[in-house]
Order: sequence, then C-alpha cells, then structure tokens
Amino acid sequence: MIKIRKKRVCQFCEQNIDFIDFKDDRMLRRFMTEQGKILPKHTTGTCAKHQRQLSNAIKKARHLAILPFVTDFSR
Amino acid sequence: MAIYESIVILDSLLTPKDIDNVVDRLSVIIQERGGVIRKIDKWGKKRLAYEIEKKQYGFYISIEFEGDGNIPHVLESDYNYSDNVLRYLTYRFDKYKIRAMQNAAEQAKAPAAAVPAAEAVVALKPETNAVTQESQE
Repeated sequence: MIKIRKKRVCQFCEQNIDFIDFKDDRMLRRFMTEQGKILPKHTTGTCAKHQRQLSNAIKKARHLAILPFVTDFSR
Repeated sequence: MAIYESIVILDSLLTPKDIDNVVDRLSVIIQERGGVIRKIDKWGKKRLAYEIEKKQYGFYISIEFEGDGNIPHVLESDYNYSDNVLRYLTYRFDKYKIRAMQNAAEQAKAPAAAVPAAEAVVALKPETNAVTQESQE
C-alpha cells in the first residue's frame, strides 16, 4: 500500500504574504526548533522564495537580540 | 535616494533625557547630509534574547529615513564611537518591504527607484499618490 501524503503548501503563499518582517518574533519562532535552529523547508513546506526571505529575517532578528542564536537546555 | 531604517539598541540604564539626546544627535547627522526623517519609533526597554556586554536589557530605537548611501556609513562610525550603543542594524528597504508598505497604503510617498518593482501593486490600488507620481513621469 502506497501512503499518499498530503502535499504541504507554503504558508506565506497561502496567506498571500509578500514580505516577511524580522520584527515579528512570534511568527518567526514557528519556523525554528526549540533550540533556535532554522527549520528546513521540507519540514515546514515553505517555498524557496519565502524560505530565503525567512532565513534572512531570522538572521537579522538574531543580530538584534530579538531571537536567540542558541537555547541550551542541557544545563 | 533610498529608504533606510536604522535600529539601535542602547544601554537600558540611560535616562529618558539621555535617550532623547541620542535621538536628536542622530537626527541632526541625517538631516545635515540631506536626509529626510520619515519616522522615529521608540520600542522601549526590552529583554535581550542573549547577553550583550553582560547586559540583560536594552532600549530599542528605530529611525526610518530617506537619503543617500553615505548616511548609513556616517551613522555607523557614530555608533562605533559611542559607548551606549550595544548593537545596531541599518538596512535598505528592499522591493518586498516597499511593496508591503504600499499595500498597507500608510505611506503615500513612493520613492522613484521603487516604482518599477511596485507597478503591479500600484495597478491594483489606484488610490495612492504613487499613481499620480507615475503619470507625471
């Protein structure tokens, strides 16, 4: 039996969002792991165009200390 | 002429008067070099996601201005000179940001450089001033 997986659609394309704002940290956190890593597009379904903007936005937010570079839970 | 936004994290221990002084100094720098200030926004005291110079909190300021490419360079040297600036980021508005701004229809003035990128949006929303600028050209 072949599993038919539902194709993920880019959330930004669905909502017609053209510009990804790096100041919106709550939105950006949805595309990061708990550790603070950027999730790859094959897990979130983001299209290449938006993934590029998203990763740049996260990097800008990290520089301004809006988002963490790493969150270490081990200690 | 392009639109830039400069975000500065200041030491949160500064008094409100000191912060006003910093904002005034930066505005003078921009205006002396032929820049036009569009918006000054104080985000206020916020917790930093990680420590910078052993500080947990910072005071965020954002200045949006229109001007030549040498202004960010001058601002940068000012930031590096000042001890109160923990972190800064100056960026130029790209086509996506400008398009989003026009979509919001908050800013009626569209820079001439951004008009080609925003043509599609402008065609959809003919009530903005951008259209009148375009027709004049």
